[in-house]
Amino acid sequence: MSQPLYLSGYWLLLLLFMPLAVYSGFRMLLGVMRKGEGGKERDWSVPQLEFETGAMSTVHRWDVRFKLASFLVLAFVVVSLQHHQTALAALLLAFCGYRAACIPWRRGFKRLLGMSGFLSMFLLMLPLTAVRQPDDLLLIFGQLEWLSFNLRGLDLAVLIILRATTVAMLMEPLLATAPLPVTLAGLSRMGVPQRITELLLITHRYLYVFVHEARRMQIGMEVRGFLKTSNIATLRTVGNFVGMLFVRSFERTERVYSAMMARGYQGHWPQPVSFRATTTDYYKTALCLALGILLLGCDRLLLVGG
Amino acid sequence: MHISDGVLPTTIALGCYAASAAICTWSVKRTRSEDLPKVAVLTAAFFVASLVHLPFGPTSVHLLIPGLVGALLGPSAFLAIALGLVLQCLLFQFGGLTALGANLLMMGLPALLAGLVFYRFKGTGRKQRIWVGALCGGGATIFSALLLAVLLASGGEDFYGVAKLALGAHIPVVLIEAGVSAMVVSFLLKVKPEILDIPFVMKEKP
Amino acid sequence: MHQQAKIQSELPTQQMLMEVTNLSFTYPDGTQALTGINLRINTGERIALVGHNGSGKTTLVKQLCGLLSPGQGEVTYLGQSLEGEHLAQSRLKIGLLFQDPDDQLFGHSIYEDVAFGPRNQGLSEAEVDRIVRQVIAEVGLDELLYKPPHALSYGQKKRAALAGLLAMQPDLLILDEPTANLDPAQEQVFLGLLQNFPGTLLLISHDLIFLYELCERALVLDRGHVHHDYLLKELVEHRPSLREHGLDFSFRFAENPALPTVTINPEIHPVPEVRRKNQCDEVLVDMRGVSYRYPDGTAALKGIDLQIRRGERVALVGENGAGKSTLLMCLLGLNAFRGDYRFADKPIHAGKGRMIWQQTGMVFQDSADQLVCPTCYDEVAFAPRQYGYSEDQVRVLVEKALKKVKLDGFDQRIPLHLSGGERKRLALASVLSLEPRLLILDEPTAGLDPQGEELLLEIIREIDATLVLVSHDIFFVRQLTERVLVMHRGQIAIDYPLSDFLSDKNLITLNGLDYTYRDQCALQIRELQHRHEHAHPHKHLHDHNHRHGELAHQHPHEHEHEHEHSYIHRHNETGEHQHPIQSEYHDHDHPGHEQDDHDHSH
Repeated sequence: MSQPLYLSGYWLLLLLFMPLAVYSGFRMLLGVMRKGEGGKERDWSVPQLEFETGAMSTVHRWDVRFKLASFLVLAFVVVSLQHHQTALAALLLAFCGYRAACIPWRRGFKRLLGMSGFLSMFLLMLPLTAVRQPDDLLLIFGQLEWLSFNLRGLDLAVLIILRATTVAMLMEPLLATAPLPVTLAGLSRMGVPQRITELLLITHRYLYVFVHEARRMQIGMEVRGFLKTSNIATLRTVGNFVGMLFVRSFERTERVYSAMMARGYQGHWPQPVSFRATTTDYYKTALCLALGILLLGCDRLLLVGG
Repeated sequence: MHISDGVLPTTIALGCYAASAAICTWSVKRTRSEDLPKVAVLTAAFFVASLVHLPFGPTSVHLLIPGLVGALLGPSAFLAIALGLVLQCLLFQFGGLTALGANLLMMGLPALLAGLVFYRFKGTGRKQRIWVGALCGGGATIFSALLLAVLLASGGEDFYGVAKLALGAHIPVVLIEAGVSAMVVSFLLKVKPEILDIPFVMKEKP
Repeated sequence: MHQQAKIQSELPTQQMLMEVTNLSFTYPDGTQALTGINLRINTGERIALVGHNGSGKTTLVKQLCGLLSPGQGEVTYLGQSLEGEHLAQSRLKIGLLFQDPDDQLFGHSIYEDVAFGPRNQGLSEAEVDRIVRQVIAEVGLDELLYKPPHALSYGQKKRAALAGLLAMQPDLLILDEPTANLDPAQEQVFLGLLQNFPGTLLLISHDLIFLYELCERALVLDRGHVHHDYLLKELVEHRPSLREHGLDFSFRFAENPALPTVTINPEIHPVPEVRRKNQCDEVLVDMRGVSYRYPDGTAALKGIDLQIRRGERVALVGENGAGKSTLLMCLLGLNAFRGDYRFADKPIHAGKGRMIWQQTGMVFQDSADQLVCPTCYDEVAFAPRQYGYSEDQVRVLVEKALKKVKLDGFDQRIPLHLSGGERKRLALASVLSLEPRLLILDEPTAGLDPQGEELLLEIIREIDATLVLVSHDIFFVRQLTERVLVMHRGQIAIDYPLSDFLSDKNLITLNGLDYTYRDQCALQIRELQHRHEHAHPHKHLHDHNHRHGELAHQHPHEHEHEHEHSYIHRHNETGEHQHPIQSEYHDHDHPGHEQDDHDHSH
């Protein structure tokens, strides 16, 4: 039988508050960091993928193909970890890697914010809904017998968050240390069809164009008094807005294609990026893979031990 | 809602990768090669449309528009959604790197289905098209919510509660999605009906 | 000033580059776009392609680039029809500059984008690198080599797009509205770049002044036909043709007494009485120490102090990137500025301008950003509906607003299908429906043809509201405003009455903008027009062969006849003009005169 532990009802409130606090904590942190740079404009624009420090860190100098392979393997290793100890170790290593790549923390935190909503759901729901197992430690609040807080569920949620955070922290050093075309060229050398990477580049470029377009249209509606509420009129206006966005994009699509044709496009985008691997690249990759194997090994040993 | 890293079991994540890669290849093959750059540009517009937030009571939800993408692009919709999701993952960390395949299935399959339904049942009347549009918008969202729930539940019994919550959280999204899709279809019928006539990119079956 | 054009025309360049024979084209939807076009383009020519919107200019250009295949007839490039392999090769030698640079900059950075063409030409990487760097330096963007296109200003984008074409070393360069939305300084840069371009040029533009600088040949399209094909000078001189094709900008001279040689005198164009009446001392806009930084930390506005009284008409000028648009956003309370801002004595908080949006209206530079509804009626009704007016009231307001902009009867038309000028007026109606106290116009004339400009000017003059006009067009500034704010680097550098602005010779040193340049060009063209508009009977003393019945002989004789004379003359305030004094007796060729029978005393 599971082991119930009776607590006052106030603890429940406290525990329910936790996911909310995590979410808003991130928000505030980001706000503070932005304030440090001056201006607190609601930022509609899409973040820039690459980041130019001028500093050439170890990660910057890493051949993109090797970097991609190492980080992809690491990401999959991380999400396979089953224990807090190893997951925490992985997170610490990821932070070290982040630091080594000389990227401002703000960018990483923004990523965490991107998934904080989804993860808070786990933090909230898993402890309350995890199936009761014999050795589970349950917190039961006052008379609310049916609503038990399962600490194993909390453990699970924390594990998930650790894994997710680790992978998110790996993303910045992976993407921000080389221009996107180079990263994508590396990806196509690794088997992803070049066609797909070309399309990704075009989409990425026009994302900014449409974001700006949508922003201007939004301002245009706002200054004419448009306020989003939950009613049919809002739906209609948003429908018009989205429809207009589509119509404009369809028209632009034709023009862009004409422009490409007029400049000699023949179904192929020439992007000669040459890669030259050095021995250091091999060492770095070997180090990463070794770390991955080590983590996975420890994890599996713990499993046997536990 | 996009699945983030660390939630799905690794085997499931890898399996989804394989499945979505296969469907994506099919989707590219069904698209005329000269239309590929156009799909890429349109994807950017869909991406931006999905950033639109709408208030629903005290919270706000953002548009998903798989139904509309399907209705406008037909078989190429899967490719478009793939491009969009990869960028969302790279830029915002909406949806994790390892869960990319799963997210793609979750959004792409409903889009393909919506495309099929739209072209089968759109008819010629204005009213009918609007209704079918709403059906596609709402239906695709329900489908993707179901897929999300199934994927989450694949993690084991402990995740059933979360899966149910995720399913429930989609109810307002379904309503809004259906409404917006109907409005967009109505707008397009008035302003530029030809883009709803035939799928923008559709190659005859080889 | 158009020396370049002269030099070009003197070159013995008669080698044929392109030929269009009997070309007709119909779009799949049944629109007949081109009918029976015959055309010859020689190497080194500089051609202006003009005509109304919808006259088939864009379609013709697409045919010339091989982007559309001809329905009937043939398009040849260097003697070979544009098909198959030859088409692929020709595209690499024909450059097309689109109106919206974003359509053309699909690369991830300027470098990548410019390299696209040369790489398609199959050049080696080293070669590509050399060309790309050279061309980017030519257009003056060498410091932004790796900047992504979305981070560029509009003018820079435009130049980057041009660089992408120049890198391919095209034989023929086709440009679609190259100067739309550029500030005077950027326009000069562009003009310089094009003047130095050695190949053949084909320009589509409504901007006759710009065309006049560059081209010697004019090709006028009308409803899919070549209506005229002659020297640009001839077109410019012939005002009825200009008017027929929507190019007549002579309304600009209606009350413009200024000549390049005459110092502009503020007394000559007094502020009309109507404006004075409405103006009172009530301060509508009161900004003190307003500053703003972009999210990335760049300062966009630095301590703006600005008072605008009710009924005042203010112009905001300055180079691109001077902070004009940001100031407009602050005026609307849209962005998170710092400082003190009061609108009609009510404090406005940063980012919370909602309370004043009912009293303000802004017409955007690109009307597409403002038009989101499926019908014109809905568009104009948008704002009243948002503020909870009943449908009956809405109808009244909409009708009134549509009438004001001369679009009555357009209720059920689809905004997307209207012409540029109509869309601009619709956008204006959509903000006028609530009768705003403050009306903001951001580059209202960008991309309009002269006819559209004239109509818009007329409409704006009638509007009774405090006006803030952002424009590069000094003519509109002069016509519509009485006070000018010159912005420079995020500050209001000068704030003075219109007359001082017009006579200010120091502006060029401040921000490199020569606002008077276009006026001067316009005046030169006007001279051309006037030369041929006058005919006077006068006497001549001739000495030539002539016949009296059977008798043919030659001797000096005098008689009177009427013919046109070219004069450089000026107009005074009342529109009258004077001619320089010329002797009554002078001699020149009179073709055909010799064969005529005529009588005179012997």
